[in-house]
Amino acid sequence: MQTSKHKVGLIFFPAFDWAITPDHPEREERLLYTRDQIMEEGLLDVAGIEEYRPEIAEDSHINRIHVCVPDASGVITESHRIAAGGTMVAADLVLTGKVDRAFALLRPPGHHAMRIVHGSRGFCLVNNEAIMVEHIRHTYGPDIRIAIVDTDAHHADGTQDIFYNDPGVLHISLHQDGRTLYPGTGFVEERGGPASYGMTVNVPLPPGTGDDGILYVLENLVLPILEDYEPDIVINAAGQDNHYTDPLTNMNFTAGGYARLTELLAPDIVVLEGGYSIEGALPYINAGILLALAGLDYSAVKEPDRSARVTPQSDRVTQNIRGLVDTLRKMWNTRKNIDPDRVFGPGPVYERERRIYYDTDGISEQQFERIARCESCSGWRLVVSGAVHDIGKVSRIAAIIIPWHACRTCRSAAEAEFENACKEPQLDHVYLQDTERDRFLTTST
Amino acid sequence: MVIVGIDVGGTNTDAALISEGRILATAKVPTCHDQLLESTTLAFEKLLNAYDRPDLSDPIELHLSTTLSTNAIIEGQGDPTAVLAAPGPGMNVAELNPGFPIYVLSGSMDHRGREVAPINQEEVLDAVSQAEAGGATALAVVGKFSHRNPGHELEIEKLILKRASKTGRITLGHRLSGRPNFPRRMATSYLNASIARHQAVFVDMIRKFMVRDRSVGRVFLLKADGGTMQLEDSLIRPVETILSGPAASIMGAEALSAYPDSNTVILDIGGTTTDISVQIKGDTVFQRQGAEIAGYKTLVPALFSRSIGLGGDSEIKVVRRLESNKETDASLSGNNTLDLDIELEIGPRRAGTPAAFGGDCITPTDAAVALGLAKVGSASQATRALADFAEIYGIGAKELATKIIDTFIKQLVVAIEETYEYLESRPVYTVSEILTPPDIRPQALIGLGAPAGVFIPPIAESLGLKYQVLPCYESANAIGAAASRPTAQITLHADTALGVMTVPEADYVGKIERPVLFGINQARREAMAWATKFGKKLGLDEADNIQIVEEESFNMVRGFHTVGRTFMIRAQVRPGVRRICSSPD
Repeated sequence: MQTSKHKVGLIFFPAFDWAITPDHPEREERLLYTRDQIMEEGLLDVAGIEEYRPEIAEDSHINRIHVCVPDASGVITESHRIAAGGTMVAADLVLTGKVDRAFALLRPPGHHAMRIVHGSRGFCLVNNEAIMVEHIRHTYGPDIRIAIVDTDAHHADGTQDIFYNDPGVLHISLHQDGRTLYPGTGFVEERGGPASYGMTVNVPLPPGTGDDGILYVLENLVLPILEDYEPDIVINAAGQDNHYTDPLTNMNFTAGGYARLTELLAPDIVVLEGGYSIEGALPYINAGILLALAGLDYSAVKEPDRSARVTPQSDRVTQNIRGLVDTLRKMWNTRKNIDPDRVFGPGPVYERERRIYYDTDGISEQQFERIARCESCSGWRLVVSGAVHDIGKVSRIAAIIIPWHACRTCRSAAEAEFENACKEPQLDHVYLQDTERDRFLTTST
Repeated sequence: MVIVGIDVGGTNTDAALISEGRILATAKVPTCHDQLLESTTLAFEKLLNAYDRPDLSDPIELHLSTTLSTNAIIEGQGDPTAVLAAPGPGMNVAELNPGFPIYVLSGSMDHRGREVAPINQEEVLDAVSQAEAGGATALAVVGKFSHRNPGHELEIEKLILKRASKTGRITLGHRLSGRPNFPRRMATSYLNASIARHQAVFVDMIRKFMVRDRSVGRVFLLKADGGTMQLEDSLIRPVETILSGPAASIMGAEALSAYPDSNTVILDIGGTTTDISVQIKGDTVFQRQGAEIAGYKTLVPALFSRSIGLGGDSEIKVVRRLESNKETDASLSGNNTLDLDIELEIGPRRAGTPAAFGGDCITPTDAAVALGLAKVGSASQATRALADFAEIYGIGAKELATKIIDTFIKQLVVAIEETYEYLESRPVYTVSEILTPPDIRPQALIGLGAPAGVFIPPIAESLGLKYQVLPCYESANAIGAAASRPTAQITLHADTALGVMTVPEADYVGKIERPVLFGINQARREAMAWATKFGKKLGLDEADNIQIVEEESFNMVRGFHTVGRTFMIRAQVRPGVRRICSSPD
């Protein structure tokens, strides 16, 4: 019998009875052929690959990282709870040492879900990786150093938003250039908030990037950064839509490339994100990832139409990527030399305003955010958010967020702000999110 | 109808004669090693002698469970067999380390059964010559995804029969199972091919026996799933007869159960091990993918059973002796009696012959005998041995015996709980199954085996269950063999986008005439019809008793348009046992 080199826990949950809508890419059929391939390959019989059942995430897990409007059970389905809960199981398996690595091969995905959730965007409602990260910090220690490497073809704008000012999480997103693809963000200059400047690394890749390009980024940028940062846990948000057959993107990655990426990155936890070439890509990519995680030979994993469809990456793309990697390496190496006042202004607070569009649910959100610039902690935050739904519903909320390791000044300022905001008649809901103390308060005025 | 069930086990051959749900006679003879027919004949004759009303006008139906295939596999006595495999892209078969030679062929299918690459005839013939030059006398042909399209396997079989092999019969993977799992399909096919000749010899012997003894009409063989198959069909699928002995015992318990439609747990407590099996609404739970034998993982449908190294003859160890704090003891209780503060562990090894039977080991059996719970062997010998052991720890024989019985019960209760936790943690793939898992927890406990009378009542009490200790446990296996019914299963896969329907077990690949109109109801009808047809081909009288056991249907959407539907329906001849009244008349 075959034995894997690394013990791998697989949490496979294809949600065969759940879809956004019957014809939506995020539908029952999405992981059907992946299941067929994994079962037929007999991968679950390999000694050292063990399948585990997901658990169900509770409101308390979700409220640590999200502010759902009006509340968690008001926006999410059981399917989302299972996907988030399955991701938490993956973390538990690794952190308790039951397995060396875990693969949460489940849906629906989550990396476009931001901290404030009015509805679904980019097929995502709650952020599976973020819920898992808070679960890890609460269960296994708040100072665990975490790195998330998101290899979905779309910019992980939700994950970026949630950890934007969090010095405990390094977030690297590789994606097709935002000028050419949803959600239109993820440029190199988006580098994190005042408390964690440089901890957000965006790698916008030109359309047409193939195995050579992505693996070049991995070897010359991602791995050196990880070596420098020395995370305790590496999470790969493994979207599979960089594949040459994906209907929504313009990339040129192959199943073999994904497997090699997995082998090089050696992530502790892999979480499926997007990827909608359900027949031509997913069965092969997932088999490849699972083999690579287990330390088995993946060289024979090959899409049936690969030789006919994949063309070598063009020189122009190669040059573009080399230049990008040079720039980003310099930015990483010099991130601590930059005077934050020059980036965020000299004042006691940093403020920004954004419009966020929820493509899946048709919601337009206008967000104002204020981050306290604190010497002793990463600073409390106020988010005021107004959302206009396409059905005409309007909601306006405020969320006060107390970060991990908040200083006493920030903590009391945040609590005072919460009390004030509760009196504000124009706000439908006011929330206080105190992740460190696992406290989530909400008041409807 | 009179049915004789015979289970040829490693040590004993048991036989039972049943008619109209009653046990009319049972018999036991020692198994003559390597003489299956002798053992069968002896048991059969002894049984008929024990049956004092020999007015057998109708022919007897014989249900036979033997260790033939199981032993051939475990002892490595199968014929030298080569597997010709078309793995296509995916896992590297060279890393599989399967325990048999694989000759890799090109040619591959994808997950929907579409041909990706054709087979190469010259390569096939070369592989056959190489395999034969390497000493192989039996062949199996297996393709990845052949359960979705058996085309390549059939083509290769035809080619070999026409052009190459001296071997008459070739095992094809898709005929053995419609389930996915290429490595298991290879192992199943390999084992099947390797024991086919032994099975043919055996079938021949049984035919001769039938000619000699005219009282026997039809002969059925027991399978790992607790069902039966016709003697003739075992020539094509001999691998299904593996592990029929344990299945026979479970079927015996099912047949004799006082709780036929309940959730039950069956404990078969033997000398060395206890086997735990689980019934949900009367049906025994199956292994998730198939039987495992001699390190081979197969697709052979098999009853789930968990074996614990805990039995009447198990070894008893002291794992911890707590130092009793005498001061505290004195102050709390005011006297000097010692608490019995040793901890025991029973099993997993067998100790040897219990002291009660003249051996030099103390065992759970000795504890039961010493306490008067079991009336076997010598109570004084058991008590003496226990007393000697107990003395070291400053306690009495009775206290030690009680501690042994309690530990035995505690360990079994833990094992039962673990079994249910395992079954409940088996992965499921729908939201509804996560949210509303079926209730599989037992309502009743059924015990068989010699020590069952001692242990079942307290275990049932500890679990809060009703219980039944089967009276005729000695011949439960033979009763189970006699009570078994035929089983057969087919898998229908229909893909309306491709317009193709496949039933691998029946060698069928055909066109769907009007794909647009093909819905779940038609898929079900087709599956029922194929199961009936397949059942009849296997000679099953009960081919009208068909049920659908699994079904899947998915909309296939390409580019925001529905292009078809895909269906997987698994239908079977409803399994089950003839109910047997447990009180002998």
